Amino acid sequence: MTEVYVEEYVVKGDSFLEVGEASTKLKGTLKMLGIPSDVTRRASVVVYEAEMNVMIHAGGGVIKASISSDSLVIEAVDHGPGIADIDLAMQEGYSTASDRIRELGFGAGMGLPNIKRNSDELDIETALGEGTTLRATLRFERG
Amino acid sequence: MTTGIKVQLSACRGCARCIKVCPTEAMRVLDGKVMIIPELCVDCGECIRKCEDRAILINEDNWRLLASQDSTLIAADPAFYVQTRGYSCPEVFSSRLKEAGLEDITPWTSLAFDVTAYAIAKEIEKRGPEGLPLISTYCPSVIRLIQINYPELVGRFVLVDSPLETAVSLWREDTGRGDDVTLIAPCPAKVALVRSPEGRPKSSMKYAVSIQNVVRDLLAGGVEVDQPVEPCGGDLRYLLWSLRGGESKHVSAFCNRPIRTISVAGLRNTMDLLRELELGRLEGVDYIECRACDLGCIGGVGNLESRFLTHLRLDHIDVEWTMTDQESEAVNRWYESEIWKLSAPLKARQRLPLDQDLGQAMVRLREMNQIYAELPHIDCGSCGRPSCKALAEDVVRGNGEATDCIFKLRERIYELAREVAELSSRSPHAFNRKR
Ligand code: SF4
Ligand code: SF4
Repeated sequence: MTEVYVEEYVVKGDSFLEVGEASTKLKGTLKMLGIPSDVTRRASVVVYEAEMNVMIHAGGGVIKASISSDSLVIEAVDHGPGIADIDLAMQEGYSTASDRIRELGFGAGMGLPNIKRNSDELDIETALGEGTTLRATLRFERG
Repeated sequence: MTTGIKVQLSACRGCARCIKVCPTEAMRVLDGKVMIIPELCVDCGECIRKCEDRAILINEDNWRLLASQDSTLIAADPAFYVQTRGYSCPEVFSSRLKEAGLEDITPWTSLAFDVTAYAIAKEIEKRGPEGLPLISTYCPSVIRLIQINYPELVGRFVLVDSPLETAVSLWREDTGRGDDVTLIAPCPAKVALVRSPEGRPKSSMKYAVSIQNVVRDLLAGGVEVDQPVEPCGGDLRYLLWSLRGGESKHVSAFCNRPIRTISVAGLRNTMDLLRELELGRLEGVDYIECRACDLGCIGGVGNLESRFLTHLRLDHIDVEWTMTDQESEAVNRWYESEIWKLSAPLKARQRLPLDQDLGQAMVRLREMNQIYAELPHIDCGSCGRPSCKALAEDVVRGNGEATDCIFKLRERIYELAREVAELSSRSPHAFNRKR
């Protein structure tokens, strides 16, 4: 049987107070399903960073989590400005966040590297002026 | 497991106030009486604070009975020594206790806290940056909270036993005595420490009673504990553990390098902090001290005195952070003996998933979302659950009906009423027939 369970979270732009909500909700869901706690922890980080990115850089977007028998796929879709240089964005410490965001202590350039570190597969499609789709896969059994 | 709290069903009116304050949503009111889901209870005592009918109590032993024995040996939580007005020296306090026929192990308690702080400092120094921060195991309520809600963090616990346990072990080693020891505890969590300890098969103490019962009894028994006494020369470092941040200061005093610690008190702050730690956002922190109660253990529900007054007293204590050679020698010796070590690692205690089979769990989760979607989402508590989500979960777990929700019930009654009305408007066939 290949059941797939899908949950979707809407992330608003500039909503610092709500950031972390999707990650908390997903954690609850994964617990109810009995997903291994290591995956739950990694998923929390991936979704949290994705929420941050979508909120800070793209003015909002949608995060979708799909759970199947052997893996969890997290997809973050936004219609923001897109990423000009992915390789650069993947470097730790690189950030295009505005000064205001940095003053708040966010946008330290750890988002994408952190997502990469915590997922088994990462795929980013981006087009300038159109938006970004990030797809992170977390496998239940790390091979 | 809940062992520090008991419910007196005859006193419970089923008002459901307690279920709303429980930080882990461990309480329900079913058939008009409160019940606690043992796997979710962390013994923090918030429900005890809220209950106006005294239906929820600390699950303590009978102090009167214990105190009336020929000899009663007590180990007291540091918060105990700041409950009375004239306090300034545990040693003097001890002699007052003797007047009441009680013997306490104060000097060993003070030594045990030094040994504990030293052991924690060494554990921090042994770890590389990836292994840090370590988390304090002092508040048993926080231990349970992490075991249940933050299972990924259990590996961060510093495997150092409660200094109260170590105090009794030290005393036994030194004196060779085997008497039963009673803990005077500030909260249900520390009662649970005696009843079902973590990381060791059995507690070194046998009984546990609340601070408020003991102090009240001493005062009523005419023991002068409210008279001012001369300031004391002994080491009072350990008393600060009952105030948020005291443990961190003590540990820092033993560290060879400056350490970065975070101390928070109150379950809300604790949960926020653990969440950030879980997300890997607390880089560069060495040690984390969390207390379930506001201000620290002086805020425990089993204390007698106002936590603000005890805070004031603690603020005015003269504390010496440098050890004498003699003290250092004793601490070192006991550190080497490893008497402070927890014998087993602390394990996660995760909640059961909706089903062991993932596919089946998904089906039930969908069912749960469906039920939840149809509830009013106002978390009023009238169904005896802390939230509409909790009711939805209870229903799929087979522990309730959607119509436990009073709004759902009203809808159902309305539907039924409509059906009945419709039925009654239909005339029986016999009358319809033309004669
Ligand atoms: S903070 Fe202290 S008094 Fe409060 S639950 Fe924890 S150990 Fe008990
Ligand atoms: S609205 Fe209904 S389901 Fe929600 S808490 Fe109140 S009674 Fe329970």
